[in-house]
Amino acid sequence: MSKIELSHVTKRWGGYYAVDDLSMVIEDNAFVTLLGPSGCGKTTTLRMIAGLETPTEGRITIDGVPVFDSELGINVPANKRRVGFLFQNYALWPNMTVYKNIAFGLSNINESGAHVNEKGEVCRDETGKEPPRKLTKAEIDRAVKRVSDIVKIGMFMDRYPSELSGGQQQRVAIARTLAPGPKVLFMDEPLSNLDAKLRLEMRSELQRLHLETGSTFVYVTHDQMEAMTLASRICLIDNGVLQQYEEPMLVYNRPTNLFVADFVGNPAVNLMEARGEEKDGAWQLSLLDTYHAAFTQVGDTMDQSPLHSGIHKVEKENKDILFKYAIHRISDEGVDKDYQPDDDDYVLGVRPEFLEISENGPIEGEVFSAMPTGMETTVRIRVGNYLLTAVVFGGVIYRLGQKVRLNFKGENVMLFSRKTGRMLCAGSLKIN
Amino acid sequence: MTAIASSGKKWRKLYGRMHTYFSKPQNVILLVLGIVLTVTTIAPMLTIVNDTFAVHEGSVDARNIEEGQVYTTYNWGALFAPTRTMDQRLAKINLWTPLTNSILLSIFSCIGAILIGGVFAYLVTRTNLKCKKYLSAIFIFPYIMPQWTMAVVWQNLFNSNAVTGGSDGLFASLLGIRMPLWWCQGLFPSAMVLSLHYAAFAYILIGGIFRNMDANLEEAATILNTPRWKTFLKVTIPLVKPAILSTILLVFSSAMGSYPIPHYLNLSTLSTKYVELNASRAGQASILAVIMMLFGIIILIVNQKTTSGRKNFTTVTGKSGQSSLVNLGIGKYILAAFFIVFTFCTGILPIIMFAVETFLPNPGDYSFVTSGISGNMTLKWWINSDPLAENGMYGQLGILFNSTIWNAFLGTLIVSVCCALAAGTIGLLVGYCVSKNRRSKWAAYVNNMAFLPYLMPALAVGVAFFIFGSSMGIFNTFLLLILAGTIKYIPFASRSALNSMLQLSGEIEEAAIIQDIPWWKRMTRIIIPIQKSSIISGYLLPFMTCLRELTLFMLLCSQTRIITTMLDYFDEMGLYAFSSGINLLLILVILLCNAVVNKLTGASIDSGIGG
Repeated sequence: MSKIELSHVTKRWGGYYAVDDLSMVIEDNAFVTLLGPSGCGKTTTLRMIAGLETPTEGRITIDGVPVFDSELGINVPANKRRVGFLFQNYALWPNMTVYKNIAFGLSNINESGAHVNEKGEVCRDETGKEPPRKLTKAEIDRAVKRVSDIVKIGMFMDRYPSELSGGQQQRVAIARTLAPGPKVLFMDEPLSNLDAKLRLEMRSELQRLHLETGSTFVYVTHDQMEAMTLASRICLIDNGVLQQYEEPMLVYNRPTNLFVADFVGNPAVNLMEARGEEKDGAWQLSLLDTYHAAFTQVGDTMDQSPLHSGIHKVEKENKDILFKYAIHRISDEGVDKDYQPDDDDYVLGVRPEFLEISENGPIEGEVFSAMPTGMETTVRIRVGNYLLTAVVFGGVIYRLGQKVRLNFKGENVMLFSRKTGRMLCAGSLKIN
Repeated sequence: MTAIASSGKKWRKLYGRMHTYFSKPQNVILLVLGIVLTVTTIAPMLTIVNDTFAVHEGSVDARNIEEGQVYTTYNWGALFAPTRTMDQRLAKINLWTPLTNSILLSIFSCIGAILIGGVFAYLVTRTNLKCKKYLSAIFIFPYIMPQWTMAVVWQNLFNSNAVTGGSDGLFASLLGIRMPLWWCQGLFPSAMVLSLHYAAFAYILIGGIFRNMDANLEEAATILNTPRWKTFLKVTIPLVKPAILSTILLVFSSAMGSYPIPHYLNLSTLSTKYVELNASRAGQASILAVIMMLFGIIILIVNQKTTSGRKNFTTVTGKSGQSSLVNLGIGKYILAAFFIVFTFCTGILPIIMFAVETFLPNPGDYSFVTSGISGNMTLKWWINSDPLAENGMYGQLGILFNSTIWNAFLGTLIVSVCCALAAGTIGLLVGYCVSKNRRSKWAAYVNNMAFLPYLMPALAVGVAFFIFGSSMGIFNTFLLLILAGTIKYIPFASRSALNSMLQLSGEIEEAAIIQDIPWWKRMTRIIIPIQKSSIISGYLLPFMTCLRELTLFMLLCSQTRIITTMLDYFDEMGLYAFSSGINLLLILVILLCNAVVNKLTGASIDSGIGG
């Protein structure tokens, strides 16, 4: 019931672009996460959609209704957009009890035909024909009861926020946000103040909540794991520019560029610089100083159109620069930092689970470090001057310094252009 | 055609922007306050400058102009470029000596206040001194009491008929000790008294930092095996430097604008000279006021420069363990005993002395102590109800029956309540709006405008409103007093409000905005309740300061209008019992207010001055 559209939204302070020409469509009932490193503009984007921040340029519509349009001079204030916002620090009002925190917003509703139905949901006359009406005490009670049941905080109603634990405060904040029945729910890193165990628990509860309320969720996080597990679509932003906006699995396996490939995935992707030539969808590459391999393309070639028009009204102070990926080496000696890559330079990306430790693998290495969790073991392997990461499932124990042999498996090895940083295609890699 | 369309688009865009801007209450308030404060702060200042060039009827400048001249530079010339020898001597008396005295007084007061207050702050927060709680409470007393209290006490202690003339003080009459003149009058006692008065202020500012300072900062140095004295010099002192600096700025301008202390202790400063000159050389007096204002502006600029610099540390990191206190050994008792005696002299003795004074038959007649006869005391100053009964009372009734005194008291209450309400509310709004618009230049300007009067010497502000009020025809009205008081005290409230608003995360209010809760409800139901204690002290501080204000108000009304000018009047008349009685009443009212509010809300005078 509510689709959000952003077109060419820009927010800048002077020459600093927090959000740079962002266009995206958030479908009704979607669970979209805005993901990116600290300061990339994801929170600003969220606040602009909610109306807490005014964009410099662009147009935002919710449900087809323009809530902001710089050309037409439209700017619907946050309080009239009927959205819910869950803050990072919960922002509970410390001077009110849990009950009052939830009920305060409800007691202010004075809208056309407002009432609370049997189930405890706040309903309104969308046509606006009925006279405005306030909710009665009994109705508010019913609405508070509904949301407190959803997040199971019924027994804390008379407590003050300071008397609750972090997780309980979080639940109260969710209940308060849900109570007036918002069309869209915005969440700004809602789980980052919780401890690891509680975070996992709340994550699954948020997923249930999304299903039960049927609202559109927009969720900001810098934790790629959270984004991967929760979202129906991930929107990855860096330096204010949209990098990729697709389903989690596509973001994981078909990242647009090295930044996305590196940001998503834990443990991080193995990157290897390679050099060679293409011939009909097959590459002959030399990599890891001494090895030669054949890369065969599988599937389509990726879109190479630029992420940003490159046109700025005011010169961008925080310039977009090519992502500096990290190659893990034992020693950085002899590395030419000012090397200018050409069309024959590539970067190969291999997810740790596609790096196989097998007895007759063509690559020779030794175990540099091993971190078993019980369920799986993350092993770092030294190959010459390089370190590669592999994940092995099951309780295998490795000795440090142990000699192992490696192989690249599967058809999801990623080939990037080193010159542009963009992903060219996926394929399989075979060491000659 | 397209031109019209594009211009229409432009207008719509502009309209949209304006609409967005003004739909936020803080922007509207900021705009209104900015204009109002500019007028109320700048206009009086401009009127003084104007006055230095104006010709005053019956004044010295009127005799030195040609027929029909309206403006003259005579006054500036007379003070800064005198030609005749006699004028040069006059310029020295009227300008250079008071100016030197004022600057010296301000400097010595700063040094004294910081030494006394800083040492005390260190002892209370960082050592195992005994009786901390009691000492900490009583140390604030001199700041709460009227400024001249200590000056009067000083006189009552050390004056003697042989040295200063007039009646004998306690030292002379009881112990027979006659202190030399430099001890009794002039720069030394004035600086001492101001130091003691503002030491409490330094204690609050510096102690606040000492108390909140993360102990880890010092512990880190201790772990690195740094000697304690080195830690103190290289870590502790630099960290409290901002507090020391803001103490200096505030004490400097306050000392410069102080009238009663140099007046009582017979020191010629810019402020006492202003009052002297005002009758016959009004234009030149205004020049003195302009000089005082210039100091205020310089201090504002210095304040701006220092508080925005890199060396403005965050000392509160939030995560702090208990620091180990310095063990003073036997010194903890000795120092405690010393400070108990010391604070007795500054905090309790004045109250006792004022009380005793009202029972003496004649000023300085302490015969009841030496003779032991309680009959040598009298209640007449309190309860005399017959205007003809007592010759020595000049027809005045006893304090309890004296309607002039009670009317003045009522007047003070009216002025104080109104000032507190107005200044507290405006300060609250300024603090709120500025915290919401931290990046905006206009907000910074409004904040500075609201803060400027704080750094203006009180007398200069008084003069500004005197000239302003006279030209507006509201001289000697409550309106003028309230206006001047409000402007002068807004900084108290705006500072504490701004500090508390900055502590409040913006999300707290945004959570309410999202739920469509109207602005006034956000203020009254969420923001004010959360920060109530510092907001209350934003009202309380102006109220208590206003109760005891003399310097600011003495030019603005006749002497019977409010209690402090009334007190000044009785002092001039030599009816010390009356002035002591009034002093006593004032002190008790202020202490009572502080105690009541402290009990009710947990707010107190010392919590609001921070920063």
